[in-house]
Amino acid sequence: MTDHRIILLCVIPLAAGLISIALINRKALSRLVGILSYTLMLGLSLSLLLKITAAPDSESILVSQMGGWTAPFGISIVFDSLSGLLICAAAAVGLGAYVHSFSVISPVTERRYYHPLMQFLMFGVNLSFLTGDLFNLFVAFEIMLMASYALLTIGGSKAQLSQAYKYILLNVLASTIFLMAAGMVYGMFGTLNIADLARIVAEHEAANKELPAGFKSLAVMFLLVFGLKGAFFPLWFWLPDTYYTVPISIAGLFGGLLTKVGVYTVARLFPLIFASDGTSTILADGTMLGGTSPIIQTILIVAAAFTMFLAVLGAVSQHHVRRILSVHVISQVGYMVFGIAVMTGNALAGCAFYMIQHMVVKCALFLCCGVMEKHAGTDDLDKLGGLLKRDWFLGVLFFIAAMSLVGLPPLSGFFGKMVIIREGFFEGMWYLGVIGLVTGAITLLSMLKIWSYGYWNPDQAPTTNKPEAVKASCKPAYAAITLLVVCALFLGLGAEAVYKVANRAGEQLDNPKHYITAVLGDDAYAKVDELIDERIAQEPAGPASADGESLTLVNPEEEATP
Amino acid sequence: MSSSILRTANGIIFPLTLLFALYMALKGHNMPGGGFIGGLIAAVALVLYRMSHGPDAMMRLMPVHPRVIVAMGLGIAALTGVVPLVFGEPMLRSIAPYISLGVGDPVHLPSALFFDVGVLLVVVGVSVGMIVRLGEEVEDE
Repeated sequence: MTDHRIILLCVIPLAAGLISIALINRKALSRLVGILSYTLMLGLSLSLLLKITAAPDSESILVSQMGGWTAPFGISIVFDSLSGLLICAAAAVGLGAYVHSFSVISPVTERRYYHPLMQFLMFGVNLSFLTGDLFNLFVAFEIMLMASYALLTIGGSKAQLSQAYKYILLNVLASTIFLMAAGMVYGMFGTLNIADLARIVAEHEAANKELPAGFKSLAVMFLLVFGLKGAFFPLWFWLPDTYYTVPISIAGLFGGLLTKVGVYTVARLFPLIFASDGTSTILADGTMLGGTSPIIQTILIVAAAFTMFLAVLGAVSQHHVRRILSVHVISQVGYMVFGIAVMTGNALAGCAFYMIQHMVVKCALFLCCGVMEKHAGTDDLDKLGGLLKRDWFLGVLFFIAAMSLVGLPPLSGFFGKMVIIREGFFEGMWYLGVIGLVTGAITLLSMLKIWSYGYWNPDQAPTTNKPEAVKASCKPAYAAITLLVVCALFLGLGAEAVYKVANRAGEQLDNPKHYITAVLGDDAYAKVDELIDERIAQEPAGPASADGESLTLVNPEEEATP
Repeated sequence: MSSSILRTANGIIFPLTLLFALYMALKGHNMPGGGFIGGLIAAVALVLYRMSHGPDAMMRLMPVHPRVIVAMGLGIAALTGVVPLVFGEPMLRSIAPYISLGVGDPVHLPSALFFDVGVLLVVVGVSVGMIVRLGEEVEDE
């Protein structure tokens, strides 16, 4: 269904960024513009999401063709359940991190284009979630990365610059590979529109026709690029040090948002396009189940297992709160990759749910860490202590967020992990399920480490800051953390409502028909349907077996050979 | 660096280059050219002016600071994109009417022209801003 308003989700942060360039020396006004922009984004994305959730299947994906050029020739902007969920969560996380920064960021930093950069970052993030075109995705990544380079080096301390250098180098490399891979996709298929690519792949699948040579290597190239952005095993090494050096609010925003953009692109592109092996199974009711390439699935499984397990070991061995949280970002990404590796509709729904809950919870934990540092002047667990006595409210907020991350029922992490692990067991990936459970236990251990050293430990931290003074100066920070913790509680207690949306997101990813017909029009899927009908007609026994079992149609050529 | 030959020559080169930049920017709708290339050529003119007349003289030529030019350019481009939304059209939709001036052929005036002007300003602002910054470092030493 066409709805041109969806592009406003990109226009709002762009406009707010431009306005705050003009207001560069007016602190209060820039902050007001920023808050207004995040609130507008949150409101608009929520209302659009509610609208498509209430709509029937045929109207559940909103599309706008830029400049009126029809797909696949122009750039399509697509707002489906997955994009909607992620944009809502991104706006909430952005609002939280932004408000939090008022109490921790130095006035000098704030004048260095901090406000416009925060808006341009959101512009890039939202565009990555919305775009329906591979090259445009590259552009969105670049916008997001440019803003993130500047935010990483804001303040310009020596440690920041040396980390940012590595980060920039790695990302430039990844972007180059992305560009080359996109060029090769265009050479191979003559299109970069995601829906059009999905259509071509679906037609190959329906006809059991082999995909062009090199398709798998393209898939691996894309996996390399998005794995680097999403910090999958073994491409995670850049992350912990980078997040350690930036101002804590920005670390919260990056930890919540940036890796999820990488995971999102894998979740968007792989089930629809790149994980295909050009074969399919026709189910009894005439729907087509695309085959998954074993190589790609193996890579994803290995990445998920090692990302989850090795990263959580890394986290538990750290002794600084920031480092524990940063390394945990990686470990949690493993669960999302697990969901993608299983690649059923339900697992993808679990992955979508896990992504949004992790964005909110992880950002809340980073923001808590910011206030802890304000109290104690350090994030070294050996020097922290007595925080619960000093500030019980912060303790409660931290505890809820930490337990949500661990996944204690009825908090949000539980529902994400439960669905993903259950699907893993159903699909015969019990080893991943076991690793997921063990990882959850070790996550609990590392969170309890922060809790017992920092909060429960009766020794007071050697600090001269008066608790009242810190509390008074951190009012925006408390507001921000409370906002995010309330969101996390909602995701946990209202999990059923959220899963209604997430299930649809999983279904839309699992069955490409919705996405293809929404972007390209109803006729686009006709050829696939025709091919499926042909195959059903060729099956001698007739398609519909009475017990509803799936039946595999064999290739006619294979049948002919004795 | 001060060279009277360059300064004198630039009296002719500078306006000609700017004129060429404008020409490239305007013909870009259906032919090679456009805001990006026009902006680069204009920036080259400004850099040459900076070489012949010095950095301060160039900054005097700029009506506002380069970063404001960038912001203005982005604003104009974004505004061009957003206006169609008001009329229920998709973003960046452009119209290309022929406007009659009363004499001669009617002028082809696509609304994408405003977008190109925005791009031109961004390119001029970014290149001049970067060159100013890079130049500063060298002169400090």
